[in-house]
Amino acid sequence: MLARLLRPAPDADGVSDSVLTLTAIILLLRPLDVWWLAPFVLATACLSLALRSVRRAPFTWILVATLVAARVVVVWPLSDNHIYLLAYWCLAIGLALSSAASAATLSGSSRWLLGASFAMAVLWKAVLSPDYTDGRFFRVTLLTDDRFADAALVFGGLSRDQMAANRAYLEPLPEGAELLDPLPFVEPPRLRVFAAAATWGGLLIETLVAVFFLLPTAPRLELARHASLLAFCVATYALAPVAGFGWLLSTMGLAHCRPNHRWLRAAYLAVFVLILLYTEFPWTAVLADWTIR
Amino acid sequence: MRRPNLGELLPVGLLLLVAGTQVILTRTAALSPWKGGGFGMFSTTDDGGRRRVRVFVSAPERSEEVAIAPSLEDAARRAAVLPADYELSRLAMGVVARERRYARPVETVRIEAWRIDYTPDTLAATSRLLRQYVYRVGTPAPPRP
Repeated sequence: MLARLLRPAPDADGVSDSVLTLTAIILLLRPLDVWWLAPFVLATACLSLALRSVRRAPFTWILVATLVAARVVVVWPLSDNHIYLLAYWCLAIGLALSSAASAATLSGSSRWLLGASFAMAVLWKAVLSPDYTDGRFFRVTLLTDDRFADAALVFGGLSRDQMAANRAYLEPLPEGAELLDPLPFVEPPRLRVFAAAATWGGLLIETLVAVFFLLPTAPRLELARHASLLAFCVATYALAPVAGFGWLLSTMGLAHCRPNHRWLRAAYLAVFVLILLYTEFPWTAVLADWTIR
Repeated sequence: MRRPNLGELLPVGLLLLVAGTQVILTRTAALSPWKGGGFGMFSTTDDGGRRRVRVFVSAPERSEEVAIAPSLEDAARRAAVLPADYELSRLAMGVVARERRYARPVETVRIEAWRIDYTPDTLAATSRLLRQYVYRVGTPAPPRP
């Protein structure tokens, strides 16, 4: 059993090396923040990039999955959702590399993981959260979350003073307190439109990804799966500050490509790099500096 | 069409198990939908940043709210995101230990977990009490869920 887990999976008809390489890069780009776990994950990721035998050994990925899962347990309940997904993904790679049809197994795992995670996200937004479909979530978040503030300034038509006043308005008063003069709250029509577009556009594209990945595979559906996932990554991570999630989704999408889908594989690789650029180049901040006084 | 094998389905099985547990915990233990592996991020304003805990310490001739010390910030964050007995008692025990280090008397620690609600139209913000927990010094810790 152990020998099988340590033996590198063959390249021929196996899991694509680029999927394994990108997963290792994700581990390096966003190290775990638990000091006694991070060194082992980083070392394993480095070795897997450098050595084919490490990269293609099932044990490597089952070990990483265990370390990532340990991080989830240690910092419970504070881990973000993509850390859970990273653990499932590394486990999926380990199990696929130890199976006879490794590429098909990982393609199937990526399909189910993408479908289920997007279905849960849709369930939360459309059904379980009372403040998403009525628009409150994005109306509040665009004004209060620093990570969206520049986009709210640029696309919402707010001035910096209005943003500051709105933030004060959105702070709760101490129990029983009431202001003599209520604080002003300015919500330009452009900001309401931006919030509505983010709310419904986000829900629509996530629903499409969930449905396309969960429906039984058919030739035309495969293209719809990839188109919806790529569109989600390109649109969402331009604004959403969770590059780790985007890298993981694009790597999982890549694993779901057939070997002859060369242009789709290139598209996922391009999206992976695009998300890196989104993260490192603060384009909304630059636009805000140019356009907002 | 090929049938999926066990290795293909195990990861998604784990995902659904954890996500199902997360939904239950949000309903029964006030876990923030953003956390817990249920993929509820970016769906609600009820995130960790809009939750906070208030800690009150009392003893003979003493009853006051205490600030969260930097050494207890991590426990406070966990208690705010999941105000269940285990997390709240862990924070309370940390508060007791700190008070004793500074030779301050403490008999009970009361912790309140709060979140912010916004009204649908005007977005007026109000604080809402999610949970109140009282820890009496000497009480054994509840089991970790």
